[in-house]
Amino acid sequence: MKKTILILALALVSSTIFAQKKTTTSGTINFDATTTLDPLPKAENKTVVAALDTKNGAIAFEAIMKSFSFANPMMQEHFNSSKWIDSDKFPTSTFKGTITNFSAINLKKDGTYPADVTGDLTIHGITKSVTTKGSVTVNGKVIAATADFTIKVADYGITGQAIEAGKVTKEPKIIVAIEFK
Amino acid sequence: MRIIKRSIKQIVIASIIIVVAVITVILFVFNQKFTDTTKEKSVYSINVLDLINEFKKNDSLANKKYAEKIITVIGLVTEIETADTTTNIKMADTTSGSYVIFAFQQQNKHEAKNIKKGDKVAIKGSCSGGAYSEILEAEFITFKRCALSK
Repeated sequence: MKKTILILALALVSSTIFAQKKTTTSGTINFDATTTLDPLPKAENKTVVAALDTKNGAIAFEAIMKSFSFANPMMQEHFNSSKWIDSDKFPTSTFKGTITNFSAINLKKDGTYPADVTGDLTIHGITKSVTTKGSVTVNGKVIAATADFTIKVADYGITGQAIEAGKVTKEPKIIVAIEFK
Repeated sequence: MRIIKRSIKQIVIASIIIVVAVITVILFVFNQKFTDTTKEKSVYSINVLDLINEFKKNDSLANKKYAEKIITVIGLVTEIETADTTTNIKMADTTSGSYVIFAFQQQNKHEAKNIKKGDKVAIKGSCSGGAYSEILEAEFITFKRCALSK
């Protein structure tokens, strides 16, 4: 009898832990480094892996760099080349952080809540701390998290003539949109 | 004098030709778009579980072999993932959780919406490579600019 109770308790605990983590494999990240001189350096990645811990607001994502799809073939090749992101050497970028005001977000009540996000963003093998404002929209069981922020490419060891010439912005915009179901 | 005049004329004409050629090349490169995947030839055609196993065995070797190449993958659809503007098709190895995911190109998005879970399909797209996901503790391989292979 005791053994049965113990097994049931363990099953309950593990299912609770499992239910805390929501994941998706179809998150979206848009990257926009366009300038008035060049409208081409922008891309979208639609196959981002992401997780949200609904208990404590821990949030993370992983993106394969070659999944960023550009309209222009030459721009995509430059982006992935060793002079830029060097996708062969650094195939992924990751974010690990938390929604710091998570206690103010009611996941049981539909609505859009402001979200303060802070964490470590790794691009090009370099990790930097990022803090940004985003939003969390609750719609039944669906939780949509969005954030847009800028990064300084120089912080991530990315430099080059195109940046100096003003063809690529020094501070591209990153828009993250993730839907957890 | 006449020779000098002729030389100047030739230099001016040559310069104009060079400038026009350079502008044409620049415009061509900058306005270039990816070829419609349906019109591309696959470099490889492979079963989904074989592809996943190759990446699980050695993903840097598999990335070198498949990344940025047009590949046709044949397998059973295990998930259709829709978000605001996207519909991705997923083929997973249900025992390990590793998977291949396909993001469709704009002109073939409607095809993704008609695919059902359990369908056996062949999808052609540009392989973006694969990596081990610490979040999912499984290998994930992604494709972009996909279309149904007919």
